[in-house]
Amino acid sequence: MHLFWAITQRSFQRHLTYRAATVAGLVTNLFFGLLRAAVLIALYNARPEVAGITVQEAITYTGLTQAIITYISIFGWYDLMQSVYDGDVAVDLLKPMNYFAFWLAQDVGRAVINLLLRGLTIMLIYALIFNLTWPTAPVQWLALVSALALALLVSFAWRFLVNLAAFWTPNARGIGRFAFGITWVLSGFYMPLRYFPDWFVTLCQLTPFPAMVNTVVEIYLGLLTGPALLHALLQQVLWLAILIIAGHLVLRAGLQRLVIQGG
Amino acid sequence: MWFTVNIYRRLIAVQLKAQLQYRAAFLLEIAAAAITLFMFFGALALVFHRFGQLGGWSLAEVAFLWGLVELAFGLMDLTFSGFDPGDFGQRVRKGSFDQILLRPLSPTLQLLGADFPVRRLGRIIQGGVILWIALALLDLTWTPLKLAYLPLVLVSQIGFFGGLFIIGATITFWTVESIEAINIFTYGGSELIAYPMHIYPAGLRRFFTYIIPAAFLNYYPALFLLDKPDPFHLPAWTPCLTPVAGFGLLGLALLFWRFGIRYYQSTGT
Repeated sequence: MHLFWAITQRSFQRHLTYRAATVAGLVTNLFFGLLRAAVLIALYNARPEVAGITVQEAITYTGLTQAIITYISIFGWYDLMQSVYDGDVAVDLLKPMNYFAFWLAQDVGRAVINLLLRGLTIMLIYALIFNLTWPTAPVQWLALVSALALALLVSFAWRFLVNLAAFWTPNARGIGRFAFGITWVLSGFYMPLRYFPDWFVTLCQLTPFPAMVNTVVEIYLGLLTGPALLHALLQQVLWLAILIIAGHLVLRAGLQRLVIQGG
Repeated sequence: MWFTVNIYRRLIAVQLKAQLQYRAAFLLEIAAAAITLFMFFGALALVFHRFGQLGGWSLAEVAFLWGLVELAFGLMDLTFSGFDPGDFGQRVRKGSFDQILLRPLSPTLQLLGADFPVRRLGRIIQGGVILWIALALLDLTWTPLKLAYLPLVLVSQIGFFGGLFIIGATITFWTVESIEAINIFTYGGSELIAYPMHIYPAGLRRFFTYIIPAAFLNYYPALFLLDKPDPFHLPAWTPCLTPVAGFGLLGLALLFWRFGIRYYQSTGT
């Protein structure tokens, strides 16, 4: 555990040094956030509420999703894949640490710094432009923090699994692009899942993707309370367990066939 | 002229040959790209059921904007990929742009032939299908003028985004690192004009009309082709500005590019 935090801290500091990239990324995130807010406002067209979500909540949703985009990082992460192709994987596997935990520790550092620097800044700037919705009850804040943490873990476990494809094929990037590409819509990042027809939501719930974004959104906006809230958190835990087990099995199979090129 | 065409054809042929080595992987990637991109429009269509309209426009009308710009951007990405600011920045950093300057052939032509990513077909297919659906649903009254105007709009958009790519690439001569902010104009601009311009706050709309003239490339052509009134009351000849904005930006970009090459200092790697 000590080792885990040491790696997390290093990763945190490493990402802290990319200041220019952070500012540029922030501007891009904000631009797309404003664009998405305009589209949602135009869809509402002065209607006060659609599918239980008010315009104000819809605007808040665009800010919140843009704020956590780099935190959950589900739309492209190829670091592990790259380490397999570089051969760095050989050294990583020799480290006195579980391979999954080794990558997770780095990802937690990366995620936390991005949430603090980019996430909070985006929400603050959003609050200057729009009238936002904020969580009120202490229980809601508690649930939100748990959901955010679980969302990162589920997202990481999924990314870990996808990246393991590099053990089988010399060009797993295409697989990655597809696996990460479908998350935009299915996770509820592109539009809140509540807007969709029931059959589509049911379909989404059969995938781990809503646990990465939609659960956080619905808890933040206060759309989930009581048993529904508990159910959503449990679903995140369930997906986390499934993905960790799947990742473990796939890794074991992959290690059987891993060939490191010398050099 | 014939020499140029011939060289370009040969550069592209080499690219195609290399990319078609792994045929199954290649086809799979195109299909995957088309599916992922199509999911966005599919999702918008599903959500439209709840809302019924977007800023007063029907789904088919938005599909027209969306399909046209996606098709144009895909075609642009296919041809101008050598200038993609991210990739080009890497070329400057690694010094491989020096190689290009040493060859007895126009650097512009070499870069146009340097990359021809056929997997962009996914985006082209997606854009084409959505545009085709939109045209089928819209039941437009076609006149010879409109029939001639639509392809002109498509080519103007390709020139416009190609020009933005070239400007982004040229800036890396000075910054070395590719600047992420240019993505706001290229990828951001293409996303922005996939929706009707009147839904945006005035500042954003004016910026993308008068400073970056993106509004003239998709919104005004759509108003003309779909016989819709202009909520901002610009003159009736505004649709004529489409090729002016598209090719004008491309022309300026090429001038800037030549200026950049003249002042280019290698990184020395």
